[in-house]
Amino acid sequence: MSKPRILIVEDEADIRRFVRMALEKEGMSIAEAKSAEEARIDSACRRPELIIVDLGLPDSDGKTFIRELRTWSNAPVVVLSAREREEEKVEALDAGADDYLTKPFGVPELLARVRAQLRRAALLNPDRPTSPVIHFGDVRVNMATYEVRKGDEEVHLTPTEFRLITALVRGHGKVLTHRQLLLDVWGPGYVDRPHYIRIYMANLRQKLEREPTRPEYLITELQVGYRLAGLDDRA
Amino acid sequence: MCANEQCDKAGSRIRKSAVNHPWRRRLFERIARANPELGSLLIAATSAPRSVRFIGWGSEPAFSTASLLITTAACGLTTLVAAGLFQFFDAANLLALFMLTVVVVSIRLGRVAAIWGALLSVACFDYFFIPPLLSFAMSDTQYLFTFALILVIALVASEVGTRLRIDARNARAGERREATVARVARDLSGALKVEQIVKICVETIAPLFEAKVALTLPDLRDRVHLMGAADFGDLSVAQWTYDHVQRAGRGTDTLAAAQALYLPLKAPIRCRGALAIQPRDWRVLEESDEKRLLEACCSCIALALERIHFAEVAQETLVRMEGERLRNSLLAAVSHDLRTPLTAIRGLAETLERGTELSAAERAEVASAIRNQADGLHRVVTNLLDLARMQNAGIRLNKEWHSLDEIVGSALSRLGPALSDRCVRTDLPSDLPLLEVEASLIERVLVNLLDNALKYTPADAQILIAAKAVGESLYFFVEDGGPGLPLGDPEQLFEPFVRGQKESAISGVGLGLALCRSIVEAHGGTIRAEAAQPAGTRFEICLPLGSPPPIEEEAA
Repeated sequence: MSKPRILIVEDEADIRRFVRMALEKEGMSIAEAKSAEEARIDSACRRPELIIVDLGLPDSDGKTFIRELRTWSNAPVVVLSAREREEEKVEALDAGADDYLTKPFGVPELLARVRAQLRRAALLNPDRPTSPVIHFGDVRVNMATYEVRKGDEEVHLTPTEFRLITALVRGHGKVLTHRQLLLDVWGPGYVDRPHYIRIYMANLRQKLEREPTRPEYLITELQVGYRLAGLDDRA
Repeated sequence: MCANEQCDKAGSRIRKSAVNHPWRRRLFERIARANPELGSLLIAATSAPRSVRFIGWGSEPAFSTASLLITTAACGLTTLVAAGLFQFFDAANLLALFMLTVVVVSIRLGRVAAIWGALLSVACFDYFFIPPLLSFAMSDTQYLFTFALILVIALVASEVGTRLRIDARNARAGERREATVARVARDLSGALKVEQIVKICVETIAPLFEAKVALTLPDLRDRVHLMGAADFGDLSVAQWTYDHVQRAGRGTDTLAAAQALYLPLKAPIRCRGALAIQPRDWRVLEESDEKRLLEACCSCIALALERIHFAEVAQETLVRMEGERLRNSLLAAVSHDLRTPLTAIRGLAETLERGTELSAAERAEVASAIRNQADGLHRVVTNLLDLARMQNAGIRLNKEWHSLDEIVGSALSRLGPALSDRCVRTDLPSDLPLLEVEASLIERVLVNLLDNALKYTPADAQILIAAKAVGESLYFFVEDGGPGLPLGDPEQLFEPFVRGQKESAISGVGLGLALCRSIVEAHGGTIRAEAAQPAGTRFEICLPLGSPPPIEEEAA
């Protein structure tokens, strides 16, 4: 298997350096860009399999770059955000980013996100045989028969709860913003009613998680959205 | 009528008819023609119907046929009594009886009745008691003198009676006025907000004059606005009144066509606004007593407004001073708490740089120390930034309806590795209602409280996070089984830069709890610390629940 090609778009040299060192050690091939302009060129000619983008670039907004990239590429994008401002992360995710890291972040966190995104991209490969049954933890969801089991017990989900889990499964590994989930599950009329998601997520956690306040799979990204983690890869 | 017009070419468009006095017109025209570049505003006061009511003797009891009838009856009664006494007494003595009647009637019933009474008494006395009896013929001219005397006495008595009544009425009116002013003054002195003054105007002053009352107050740019729910009032007239500190509107020389009377609210320092009053009966305001009363009320309102203004100024100053003090102690504490980890990081990094002789294990140890210091630094900086934000724009919260479960879960995962070897129990009922909060801030409160619990309790102490909804509030607890609070007032812990243990080796400014309090209070809640049972510390946060938005139920 060839080395995964990663593009790092970040203007701060030291951050580029440690990200490069950490990823190279994982056996990845790294390209660096210092600005959005360089990033446009590199992303077009190198065809990276994953792009790490800092939102505060000197020449342009990282979000604009992501929006442009999404017109022709499906490569996963992980956003680096220096600011604690949730709205910015949400905007980047809505623009097409898949995940984010808030500075300061650690190497283990970075590696985990990058690996998860690469794995997810591989799973989405159209050549791969797909199965209607997905697993996380001891939960088994059969998308074809609407059957949900936790361990040996059958779990009853309402239609909305099932649509929500389906949306999460489709975007597993990715951070899904409230807006994206509301659009997907409830429709356009519900975009400004995030409390719907909170109620239904709480229900799902009660039904599927071992300890609902310390979820392992249905992870809250506070004020940003949700992600489904720990999806089992076996088909 | 009021002509109120901006002219480009002043001389050409003066509304002549609006000006009464010929010399004033000439002066105005002269000014306007001499200065064609001036836009001129002509405000003319013309014949506002100023009805002057002649009140005359004012308090003289009104003439009425009733009073004459009473007088007649009194005289008749006196004659009967006198006739009864005539066989025992001399006619001269009976005259005293008639005199008494005349005096009483004069005092009680006024001048007309007095004259009538005197006339009637003399006539009766003459007819019934002066020989020749039962005739008006007078044998002795001395009775003319008697008649004149009685008439004079009657007039003097009626005058005295009238004066007495006027005095009594004045005294009563004065008393009412004083009581009213006292009540208005008392109410206004208790007012702490402009809204309260508006309320007093509408509820106390308005009924006093049987009028509609509206308060207009200036904003920062000196433009007046109607306060409260007043349904009348012309802002341009109010503005004029406020700008010129003169009364205007109906019954005055300025803008007399307005629907209401506008009075400036003059306070010792400056004018504080204008009061518009529109009585049901305009004659009320023409009486000088009522005018004085209204002016007294205006002064009271103006004083109250000025007092509120300066109270606000003082409050702002206090807040600014407090901010200043906080900033100073912040700088001192921050420079300590930032420099300490920075020094450590720098020293440790240099150790790595130069330490070729370090073993791999030692290098790993140094590196992890650097990371820990950086994490500590990050915590301090985050708290500082949040605190700065809370104190700058603490009010603009990005609130949404959140479930407490998610916030707790997020805080626990944020502390992640630090919590992994500690026993943390959560006890959150699954039916807790949603809370309208800014989630990241409430998460920060939790992270700070948990961080404290980790720092200040031994590794085997249990940490409990619990919540319950009681009535309109959500109570939220973070409890640890550690050594408990330091001696002293637990409230002090929430002051910025106070730490339970002074100068301890545990890093972190005493910012955490101060930030917690700012955040919780910005959400309209309270936070307090108390001793937990049987040991340890318990932080209790109380947040208002509000009413969550409805959610459409779906069929299961």
